[in-house]
Amino acid sequence: MNKVEFKLCLEEKLKALPQNEIQKSVEYYLEMIDDRIEDGMSEEEAIIALGDIDVIVNNIMLDRPLSSLMKEKMKSTNGLKTWEVILLVLGFPVWFPLVMSFFAVIFSVYVTVWSIIISLWAVVFSLIIVGIVGVGSSILFMIRNGFSGLFILGCSICCIGLSVLAFFAVKFISVCLIKLTGKFLRAVKSIFIKKEA
Amino acid sequence: MDIQLRRGILDICVLKVLSRNDSYGYQIIKDVSIFVEISESTLYPILKRLEIGNCVTEYSVEHNGRLRKYYKITDVGKKKIEDFIEEWKEVMDVYKFIADEMGESK
Repeated sequence: MNKVEFKLCLEEKLKALPQNEIQKSVEYYLEMIDDRIEDGMSEEEAIIALGDIDVIVNNIMLDRPLSSLMKEKMKSTNGLKTWEVILLVLGFPVWFPLVMSFFAVIFSVYVTVWSIIISLWAVVFSLIIVGIVGVGSSILFMIRNGFSGLFILGCSICCIGLSVLAFFAVKFISVCLIKLTGKFLRAVKSIFIKKEA
Repeated sequence: MDIQLRRGILDICVLKVLSRNDSYGYQIIKDVSIFVEISESTLYPILKRLEIGNCVTEYSVEHNGRLRKYYKITDVGKKKIEDFIEEWKEVMDVYKFIADEMGESK
């Protein structure tokens, strides 16, 4: 592949992006090729050194917000034909709920992840509170009935111990879940990119 | 290395290179890859992100009959490096603690 072919190929793969974005990306990569040639490489070697063009396109696309990716995907059809408009209008009862449910799924995944995180932390805090209140109330119980007071004291100390263990476990789980949501968003974005590439 | 961590570190590496003097894409790659692996396709989104975040500005200079884009670090970018160093002092303390513990257990 030579420089002109590379330019055309990149422009074609990025055609869904706004014109100034395409121009900026192409200029950047052409400058890289020129700099490598100046560094002693041949034109072909310089292009090969840039790596797979699909990876280049993927990296450009993945950095764009999801809403822009969807808009660009729709724009890439380059205008709608009459029968497509008719289909779009007639199919509204089908595609609209599908689009809505697509967003609802994304939203519910986020809500689920965050509710798991919040509920796990609620468990940790309730263990701490039960432990502290239990220790205090066990003194009152001990005055009335020594054994039940002692039992409550033991349970409360167990709760405090468990809360310390749970704190570290929940912290680890929270970090993992937050990372997972990041990966999920990237996966959703790549649906709109792979088909384009 | 974790993707998010790598991304954050690369941003700062690029800013650090630019804090020495203004530079252009290929030279930035050469300077950064001494420390961390970086490719053209990785650098492009980084530069774009840094530009949107007002950490760098760009200008063109004529070079061998063509235009070459140079990047210049801003005060916001310099502040970002300082913040990174401050944050990582804490991380290094934790690292020392973990590494020492591992050393003792061996």
